[in-house]
Amino acid sequence: MRSSISIFWRRKDSYYKVLLTRCKRCGRASFFARDVCPYCGSSDVSIVKSSGRGRVVSYTVSYFRTDSNEEYLPLVIALVRLDEGVYVTGELRDVEPAEVREGMEVEAVLRRYSSDDPYGLIYYGLKFIPVIKRC
Amino acid sequence: MRDVYIASSSMINISRHFNRGYKELAGAVVKDVVEGASVEQLDYMVVSSMLAESSLNQLDLATILTQHLGLKPMPAIRVDTGESSGLAAVEIAYSLITAGRADTVLVVGVEKATEFPTRVTNRFLSKVLDYEVEVLRNITPPNYAALIMKEYMKKYRVSREELTVWPVKMHDNALRNPYAQLKFKITPSKVLNAIKISEPITLYDMFPIGDGAAALILASSRVARKSGKEVLLVRDVVSATSRPLYLRDDITRFESLATLISMLRRKYGFRIDDAVCEIHDSYSIYAYIILEELGIARRGASYKEVENLVYVNVSGGLKARGHPFGATGVYQVSEVYNVMVKGVGGVKFDGAFGLTHSMSGPDYNSRLCLLERVV
Amino acid sequence: MKLGMDAGIVGWGVYIPRKRIKVKEIAELWGFDTGLVSSLRIEEKSVADIDEDSVTMGWYAAKVAIDRGEVNPNEIGAIFFGTESKPYAVKPSATIVGDALGISRRKLSSDLEFACRAGGEGLRISVSLISSKAVKYSLAIGSDTAQANPGDVLELTASSGAAAFLIGPEREAIAVFEGAVTYVTDTPDFWRRDCSRYPSHGEIFTGEPAYFDHIVNSVNILLTDLGLKESDFKYAIFHQPNGKFPLQVGKLLGFPKEKVLPGLVTPMIGNTYNASALIGFARVLEQARAGDRILLVTFGSGAGSDAFSIVVKEGVEQVASRGPTVNELLERKVYVSYSSYAKSRRLIERSIGW
Ligand SMILES: [Zn+2]
Repeated sequence: MRSSISIFWRRKDSYYKVLLTRCKRCGRASFFARDVCPYCGSSDVSIVKSSGRGRVVSYTVSYFRTDSNEEYLPLVIALVRLDEGVYVTGELRDVEPAEVREGMEVEAVLRRYSSDDPYGLIYYGLKFIPVIKRC
Repeated sequence: MRDVYIASSSMINISRHFNRGYKELAGAVVKDVVEGASVEQLDYMVVSSMLAESSLNQLDLATILTQHLGLKPMPAIRVDTGESSGLAAVEIAYSLITAGRADTVLVVGVEKATEFPTRVTNRFLSKVLDYEVEVLRNITPPNYAALIMKEYMKKYRVSREELTVWPVKMHDNALRNPYAQLKFKITPSKVLNAIKISEPITLYDMFPIGDGAAALILASSRVARKSGKEVLLVRDVVSATSRPLYLRDDITRFESLATLISMLRRKYGFRIDDAVCEIHDSYSIYAYIILEELGIARRGASYKEVENLVYVNVSGGLKARGHPFGATGVYQVSEVYNVMVKGVGGVKFDGAFGLTHSMSGPDYNSRLCLLERVV
Repeated sequence: MKLGMDAGIVGWGVYIPRKRIKVKEIAELWGFDTGLVSSLRIEEKSVADIDEDSVTMGWYAAKVAIDRGEVNPNEIGAIFFGTESKPYAVKPSATIVGDALGISRRKLSSDLEFACRAGGEGLRISVSLISSKAVKYSLAIGSDTAQANPGDVLELTASSGAAAFLIGPEREAIAVFEGAVTYVTDTPDFWRRDCSRYPSHGEIFTGEPAYFDHIVNSVNILLTDLGLKESDFKYAIFHQPNGKFPLQVGKLLGFPKEKVLPGLVTPMIGNTYNASALIGFARVLEQARAGDRILLVTFGSGAGSDAFSIVVKEGVEQVASRGPTVNELLERKVYVSYSSYAKSRRLIERSIGW
């Protein structure tokens, strides 16, 4: 699989950090950095960095195989409510599928999303793991 | 506004057509639909395909098809709205005629989903989600179906077992449909024990991968009258988009679909009880939610009513008829046309309306096509 | 050499991946007598997961170091990433970690390679940069997913982990560098050729002429330079390729077991290469008290050793509490089979593409 260099590079801040778009018009915050509010379309937004911590609201254990994820299967995909109250879906690692619990506290850590093996780029970004320590 | 009629329709069986490419599949239905329409000329061709760039390595599919099929030079356009591309093609064709830009439009939906191994096709089809936000971060469409299903089960206290009624029913329906991909019966335990796709979704909660092509000729009343085709009126085709899953306040609701159905009710005063429907059950949980959004069933209780539904997904739905992505929406309209005009496998609907629903992802976009019997 | 006591440790962080494999299982698989395992004094080793590498582990350690130091990442003027398992042969790991942590773009930034002591060199460079006031803070990271040819005795120990130290001005530090010596020679005890997957080594040759000779020299020069003796140190941490060598070299230099054991983590996680001595050092910092003097000694094949004398200041306990401790990371574990380890570390050859 070959991904684009520039697509990834341009948005790397959104992969390396949990960024939220906070809207000054409707007051809502949403996952991912955008230059418009996905709720109301306003451009009067600011990008804020989330702590990356939250709780698992729901999750699924995925066996859906693609040629870019097959090394990592099965994947746990979780719906997480960040401490800032914003919802995000993402991968949950470092936990056995049978041990995932709703309400589990999680933190965001840097991992590989995928890589264009063996000669291409490695795509790094944040995933969730159960919190190592509450600080 | 000018009236739009269905002049003819054609489908081929959905299958793994390894010995036929998209040109042969499209060619077969085009030949058939043109013969059936008895129209003098075609003014426009609208082609729908979801995976053309990925799976066929082909840009400008519409032009290449006109060249291959030896069609008289005419405007040809390809549309893509993900999984609902087929109904989007109908939507464009309808708009061209109502706007007076054309009198007869050929609609061709074609998909070759078996040109690559499943895991490659799975990556292609995952791109109906936001590549930058979701796909690159390893989220795939069945993951969302699974999250929605879990939330639904929790919210309405429904068991996994109770939600097997839909796929079982769809496999029964598909037995009557000569074009269906999966023509065998299944049982609730077969659904529950099938291989897991994304827990709690199993293989039998999900559409199969298959190739297909379907075509329609839509005509203005001027043309339809001449050939005696003023039978089934395309009353309207409407569509809407909605927010990504993680930005929804309630993931058990399909808001763009809700908006569309209330728009049609208001505008045409039609009642869902008077309609035969084809709905986009890419995952069985989506069927239950769609039934509720359409007002066919009560919220949280649609699984109890599935057994008695005679005129919903007579075809077997995406679950069993199959889901050749960009062609699916065209199949649905053809199926409703057939069941209202000719009858399918002993089922004929004599009511006034036909409704088809097509969507991409979990209601990332939804489209509704309202058909009305004139005679 | 004696240092000006003007640079110290502002924050530190460690990462140990959650997976562990029992070394006995590896030994049995490849037909080693299990007595070898006990002689190496190593029980289990940490295994980075398939989506982890030295960059992701280094990121975590560096993040914790910054959290502990409570500094603004934009004030960090240098990152040195010591590793011998770079995900990219060409393309810096340091810039990935830097951008991912929001560290200033106006920074020195490079990956250092000197087998297992590149992280130590990163520390020395960082101390110099702070002393010379060239930058406000400097980050020294040691991180490795240590490679070992399957079936090689090295596989019994080579593991994965990372440590990071945020170096800054003395007034903000919880420990200061009192002296440092680096001693290097051309000694071919262990190497990996360009494009080869696994390192080669001189087996017993890695011991006496390499590990022991370089460490003994760096430590002795340091003690002479500072006018100190063994008894002046509360703790001694040596690079730990196995559980045996650090105790032996300690004995050779006159450091009793009690001073070496607190910083000896290899028996529990294996040899994390560039993170090896640094994780041990972090563990010692997490139990040290103000006034304690610590000897930190790295070693890298090829070969060289850095010896540091570090004096602990007030406030170390409070800073330690701001992040996961080494002991907490040691407890976070799940055992995996050899096959799971082989998959995680990509020892299984797969053809890519369909
Ligand atoms: Zn807004």
